[in-house]
Amino acid sequence: MSSPSLRKPGELIFALLLVIFSVFVFWQAYKIAGFSSMSSAGAFPMAASFAMLLSSCFIFVKTLKAPKAEGMRFFYHCLPPVVAIIMAIILIYAVLLDSVGFTLTSFAFLFICIQILHRRSPFYTFALSLITLIVVYIVFRLIFQVVLPEGIVPEDRIIAVIKSLWS
Amino acid sequence: MDALSYFATSWVSPELFGLTALGTFLGIYIGAIPGLSVTMAVSILISFTFSWDVNNALCLMVGVYMGGVYGGSRTAILLNIPGAPSAIATALDGYPLAQKGLAGEAIGLSTVMSVIGGFVGIIVLALAAPTVSKFAITFQPRDYMMLGILGITLVGSLSGGSLAKGIFAGALGLLVGTVGLDPMTAQERFTFGDVDLWNGINPVAVMIGMFGVGEALHQLHYMDKMVVKQKINRILPKLSDLKKYLPLSLQSSLLGVIIGALPGTGGDIAALMAYDHAKRITKNPKVPFGEGAKEGLIAPESANNAAVGGAYIPMLTLGIPGDAVTAVFIGALFIHGLNPGPLLLTEQPHMFWFTVGNLTLSNIFVLIFGLTGIKIFSKIVECPKGILIPIIFLLSIVGSYAINNSIVDIWWMLAFGILGYFMRLYRFPVGPVILGVILSSLTDQNWRRAILSERGDLGPFFAHIFTSPLSTVLFLAIVLIFFTQTPIWTKMLKPRLFRKKP
Repeated sequence: MSSPSLRKPGELIFALLLVIFSVFVFWQAYKIAGFSSMSSAGAFPMAASFAMLLSSCFIFVKTLKAPKAEGMRFFYHCLPPVVAIIMAIILIYAVLLDSVGFTLTSFAFLFICIQILHRRSPFYTFALSLITLIVVYIVFRLIFQVVLPEGIVPEDRIIAVIKSLWS
Repeated sequence: MDALSYFATSWVSPELFGLTALGTFLGIYIGAIPGLSVTMAVSILISFTFSWDVNNALCLMVGVYMGGVYGGSRTAILLNIPGAPSAIATALDGYPLAQKGLAGEAIGLSTVMSVIGGFVGIIVLALAAPTVSKFAITFQPRDYMMLGILGITLVGSLSGGSLAKGIFAGALGLLVGTVGLDPMTAQERFTFGDVDLWNGINPVAVMIGMFGVGEALHQLHYMDKMVVKQKINRILPKLSDLKKYLPLSLQSSLLGVIIGALPGTGGDIAALMAYDHAKRITKNPKVPFGEGAKEGLIAPESANNAAVGGAYIPMLTLGIPGDAVTAVFIGALFIHGLNPGPLLLTEQPHMFWFTVGNLTLSNIFVLIFGLTGIKIFSKIVECPKGILIPIIFLLSIVGSYAINNSIVDIWWMLAFGILGYFMRLYRFPVGPVILGVILSSLTDQNWRRAILSERGDLGPFFAHIFTSPLSTVLFLAIVLIFFTQTPIWTKMLKPRLFRKKP
């Protein structure tokens, strides 16, 4: 842990964004009912956003005063490439999940992430992702009965075929 | 007699019995693996179990909670990495013990002491909750409002450094909780004309984002920490040790329950305070503290498990969570249609005694699983993060989808995940956000009820605070928290603090 009094790269911008966001929500809260009464639907949101505004201004000023942390770069210490890449992969995964379906996207997601983070031979990663996916599928889809997006893989029919092998 | 039969519900049903065992087992491992937290696990579990029967879901989650609080001590002892915040104090003396080759003994001792602490917590819960609940019926709306604010500010001020950051996080949570149609007037709040937002932002999506994805993204910074192997020999603690340290364990447990029961303070603070207490009352320790004193291991371990029972008291009787984990738990109770609050004990006494029975059962499983299965344990904990973290992402996304079968929840979850990542990075506490989301409607509605009962006038509202002793105490407590952060206080205190450090 670095000393709490030093300013990390990007911290000032983050604090500024919080102030801007607080102003925006305060204005939105005001629009609900204005200052009409202390018990209106807008009173509590206004109080909460006012607290946000005050504290974010305070944080911003404090961050501004704090000395810069020397030798820290945003894309190395705060948002390293690996975090940014993983964030991007998660976003792509979430976009594709509904249309392509759980099984295919999740397998691709596990394969790529484990390959990036664990760095073993692709064959090993392939087997590992497959086993993980099967376990997750059995536990959540079949035991917990969670509904998962089916997408382009006809899961129901595959399961029906597998079931018919037993009976 | 009824109470006893409710108490035994989970003991006699094989299904519930099995689920409690499974939950405790999972909890111990989740708590032990650094990077996985109980809060994360319970939030993800809510999304998968919300369609279950209440009893089944509660059994699993109570088990995970109880097991998780204990599990954190394992890695604190073996690797000097607390698996959970409540195990930070355990590492201080637990790790030196392991370095001396006494890892097995330390684990055994901490297991037994955790279980003793757990039982003390449960007993106090069973005895105190009905009384607190009767007392809570006399609470005015303004008292609830102030309790809510007190809880958030306490969590904000205690969970590290800046109160401003804590308040911001808490207020953000309160605001997120107000999104949607106002339950009292059906006015739209922050919906931007979007019908999808009428029901508000799903609190479970916020939880999974903040504690699942946000935490896992943060863990990517610490990928290269290697796991150190330790030899474990004898695990059953010596009987003479147990006898010798029992008084200390009981004292720390009582301390733990009380701290756990205060809104805003949980197991982590209980453990640190118990460690401090042990240091003060042990006049001539055989081994100095910090170098492997058994007292320094026993006190925090008893206290953090006792705090579980303590944390249940305000949660079940007032509907006010003590910390992030209990906030998530209250979320789970709401989802299952239970209303934690003063009426829970009179309207649904079976739920209360069921939970007490469940905690007891889970505590027994901690003892069983804690003293066995050390070999599998070290195997699972060695599971590399490169595999673990992708699985957390997968479960977080699937979990947030599963609540409503809606893609929108995934987007909220990811947005809060990324926000949570940056908040952690810039040292904002994330616990108050969850607390705020959960307490939002309670605080909002009680504020308005309180104001309406004064006919919309602020003057009598403040005047009436001082007519009731309870309101006065709550009001003064909130003022005190703010006062300790003002320049008057810090400027008098700061010079002294800085002189200590070279």
